Amino acid sequence: MPSASAPPVSTAARAVDARKTYGAGEAAVHALAGVTVSFPEREFTAIMGPSGSGKSTLMQCVAGLDRLTSGSAYIGDTDISQLNKTQLTLLRRDRLGFIFQQYNLIPSLTARENILLPMTLAGTRPDPEWFDTIVRTVGMGDRLGNLPSELSGGQQQRVAVARALVPRPDIVFADEPTGALDSRTGIEILSFMRRAVDETGQTIVMVTHDPHAASYANTVLFLEDGQIVDSMEAPTADRVLDRMKRFEG
Amino acid sequence: MLRLVLSSVRHNAGRYLATLVAIVTGVGFYTAVGFISDRVIDSLEGNVDAQYGNVDVAVIPEDPTTAEGAAHDPAELRISQDSVDRLLALPGIEGGAGILTGSVAFLGDDGRAFATGATGRLWVTDPDLDPLQVDSGEAPTRSGQIAVDRGLADDEGLEVGDDVTLLTLAGKEPATIVGITSFGDSDALDDGGTVSISEADAFDWLNSGQHEYETYYLRGSGDQQDLVDEADAVVPSGFRAQTGDDFRDDQRETAGTFGNTLKKGLQAFAILALLVGGFVIYNTFSVIVAQRLRELAVLAAIGATPRQLKRSLRLEGLAIGVVGSVLGVVAGFVLTLLLDLVLRVTGNSLPGSGTTIGVANVVGGLVLGTVITVLSVMIPARRAARTEPIEAMRDAAVESNRLGRTRGLICLALVVLGLAATLVGTGIATIGLGLLAFMAGVFVGAPYIAKGGARLSRPLLERVGMEGRLAVDNSIRNPKRTATTANALLIGVFLVTLVAVAGNSMKDFAVGEVNKLQSADYLVTSTGGTIDPTFVSKLEQVPDVSRVAPFRREPVTIDGEATVVSSGDLGDLTAVANVRASAGSLDDLGPGKIAVLDTRPEAQGSAVELSTGSVQDQHVDVGSTVALEDNRGHQQDFTVVALIEPSLDSVQVGSLLDPDTFDSLFGQVAPTVAFLDVDSGAQSETKDAINDLADLRPDITVQEGNAIGQLIGTIFDFLIKAVTGLLLMSVVIALIGIINTMSLSILERRRELGLLRIIGMTDNRVRRMVTLESALIAFLGTLSGLISGLVVALALVLSINRLSEATISPSVPYLELVGILVLGVALGVLAALVPARRSTRLPVLDAIAAG
Repeated sequence: MPSASAPPVSTAARAVDARKTYGAGEAAVHALAGVTVSFPEREFTAIMGPSGSGKSTLMQCVAGLDRLTSGSAYIGDTDISQLNKTQLTLLRRDRLGFIFQQYNLIPSLTARENILLPMTLAGTRPDPEWFDTIVRTVGMGDRLGNLPSELSGGQQQRVAVARALVPRPDIVFADEPTGALDSRTGIEILSFMRRAVDETGQTIVMVTHDPHAASYANTVLFLEDGQIVDSMEAPTADRVLDRMKRFEG
Repeated sequence: MLRLVLSSVRHNAGRYLATLVAIVTGVGFYTAVGFISDRVIDSLEGNVDAQYGNVDVAVIPEDPTTAEGAAHDPAELRISQDSVDRLLALPGIEGGAGILTGSVAFLGDDGRAFATGATGRLWVTDPDLDPLQVDSGEAPTRSGQIAVDRGLADDEGLEVGDDVTLLTLAGKEPATIVGITSFGDSDALDDGGTVSISEADAFDWLNSGQHEYETYYLRGSGDQQDLVDEADAVVPSGFRAQTGDDFRDDQRETAGTFGNTLKKGLQAFAILALLVGGFVIYNTFSVIVAQRLRELAVLAAIGATPRQLKRSLRLEGLAIGVVGSVLGVVAGFVLTLLLDLVLRVTGNSLPGSGTTIGVANVVGGLVLGTVITVLSVMIPARRAARTEPIEAMRDAAVESNRLGRTRGLICLALVVLGLAATLVGTGIATIGLGLLAFMAGVFVGAPYIAKGGARLSRPLLERVGMEGRLAVDNSIRNPKRTATTANALLIGVFLVTLVAVAGNSMKDFAVGEVNKLQSADYLVTSTGGTIDPTFVSKLEQVPDVSRVAPFRREPVTIDGEATVVSSGDLGDLTAVANVRASAGSLDDLGPGKIAVLDTRPEAQGSAVELSTGSVQDQHVDVGSTVALEDNRGHQQDFTVVALIEPSLDSVQVGSLLDPDTFDSLFGQVAPTVAFLDVDSGAQSETKDAINDLADLRPDITVQEGNAIGQLIGTIFDFLIKAVTGLLLMSVVIALIGIINTMSLSILERRRELGLLRIIGMTDNRVRRMVTLESALIAFLGTLSGLISGLVVALALVLSINRLSEATISPSVPYLELVGILVLGVALGVLAALVPARRSTRLPVLDAIAAG
């Protein structure tokens, strides 16, 4: 649970000498080749890198969706490499939030039910005020009774963002959240995420290949060939784009 | 195109697995039934040759129902030695064999009887007419020698040289086993084992010393028909002579008819199972088409015509159908071998020496399996042909849960018209069509049932939690698919319910009608032996036995018809049994007077036809004269003084004479039959005590007075159970259908499942969700099958009542129906085992993978 009194420098999640290898011997592919990284609390961190750099793998391993071949990953002080499948599921349910490129809403549940789904599964009740705040922030107040099939892509993604934020998770992991949206809607979604960090102290880790999206973060980490090769504070879209161009050169 | 089809089948092998299993199961069952029936038919027909191969003239009872071996028929006529001697003396006759059988048993050292179902047989000395082979030892030729069949020897551990005590009609007889026999391909000629007895003992042990035969077979030289014509002159009344060829044809036909009927019946169930398999196939291909929409659209976009698309699907169906059918035929053969093996291990055996692969069965199985598969693929293939190229660009297949209005109207019309036709129809055709229409309506309306049923069950399942809620939602996302899956189960459950309800109603009706005819509590019969005073007093000593009415009975012909005539204490008989006069008076019996069964039309009003072996064609009335002829050909005329009301008991008595007249005709023979009256009390203990007495006397059979009612009840119960068992075959295939649908649907929803697990649904709950959905589908299918089965059964009973005089009251076996419902849900849970496990084995990350 994020608390307002926590010192701003403590880490929400970290990886220590994280390695992820597919295959073995000659054919082995190192998706992560020894990454050590910390994601500070109450900050918006973006992970960038060319295709195949391991950025998605890094996020998935830290978020407990995938297991490291060696090294360890922590959510807060919990070493998630020590947890079994069910413990991992419960950890995700209680402490993490997710936003995906494909909105991944349950088609048979209304927008409201989708937003509340993680809490329904946990058997907890949302703070009504907080729920209203989030719903108002993402601008979905009047469409809560609709099924996903009755919403536009942008609206569906707002529901997905709200679903990630309402339970007040320790960290929200976002994988290309604007990848499937037009640029105007994408900007809206990114603004919500930025405001969630600024106004409510939410920690967000986002994987993206879009320099503009990355510019909403506090810090951008650059991955190449499974290793962190650079980082950038207070990024702008132009500076990130310049840095990305160097990978191709 | 063919290459595309084949690669597609290979690529989608997993998905086709359920389809294959459905076809293989159905076709396998079909061919196995064919193989086994053919083998049984062959063997039964072959046995006819083994048994009667050299018979040129058969002297058999005129009444075709009393064939050889019906030793327990109390009214049986015998061929006397006199007649046989005259037959053997005919020119051209070279030898003969008389058949005489009777119940025997062995007495063990511990004083208990064993092999109580065995049949004692007079050993046939004519080697050409002897049906049995001696496997080891020798034939029983001298007094005290017997031979037992191979099966009996194996089961009871009997060997050549053993000294045993045989329980016969003449009492306990010491005997030595001198040979082990077999019959054709099988061990014994008789179901409970065969004990061959030498000529020296057979008449004493099996027929109270009388030299008589049940049937007699002759062999001779010259034209069979000439021999028959000769024999006709000396054949005793009640019997007729038949040429050996005709006789064998008749026997073969009897044997074959039974086998063929059995085969047709069993194959009908196999076809039903295959039709249920059709639903599974249809469903699988529908899902495959939906999943491959993009692929099909790409094909359409690059120029495949609708016809080509359709044909590609049909070819896939054909390929699967052929492969499945071939595997099915193989499975059928293996199944037959397995059954044979299992029976062998458990000490039984299938009749016949070996299973031959009948071409008709193989071709039938192949054609049936393939045709049903191709037909089931028709509709999905048409759907595939309608694929628009644009669908290649769409994101995912749009699931439609909309149901057209026409469907609703058609469903309603079919159900209403069907029920109306059933309830007011006057002919079997109208009623049958009505029922068909009703069932068609149920099938068409099944998606509504799926939708409505799921909605209704939602409040309950929601209590389980989010997984319950999602299970309901998933099942109505594609109500047509849910409905088709449930329909496969519906058919089976519908038929099981129909058979259970209609069958039980009929059973209760029939048993009730029979039981209306009052009768004595027990009927004790001695076949060949007598009910002597010692035995009567033993019976009277059994607690709760209040009165024993023994009477004497002899087979005779009256006016040429085979029947029995009896004599006993009239007071006892009328008190204990339901024997009373419907015209005239039994008190008028005396010299030259007789009382016969009432055969006038007005006396036949009872629902059950009981007039077996009674005076039929002409209507005998009080005052008529009848001609009575006994076994030895003595004839005498009698005046009818009374007609006996037909009842279960009076049929046993037949005609009545006064004791003196009886003595003058047959001599002072002892009673062979007795009616027993029992106080109401400890019923089962009384029954056991009577049976214990009877067990030590192999000649004695005990029937309960309501035996016919019980027998009818038992037959109905057996039929209901057998049919239900066979119908379970289709339920098993429906189960495969559920597994298939669930597996495919979790594949389709892998992203959704991945998401649920990412945001915190534990694996247990995901599995529970899949299980609940499966159970829900099974529940809906079972319940609608149950209800439609109930409706149709009730409609049938009402129609029968309306069209006939009968008033059958519907009896609903509630407990069984609840059992079926529970079983249905249990099957649903069972079907979910594999898909549920697979649902949590899919990678979570599918939810994140874009595109």
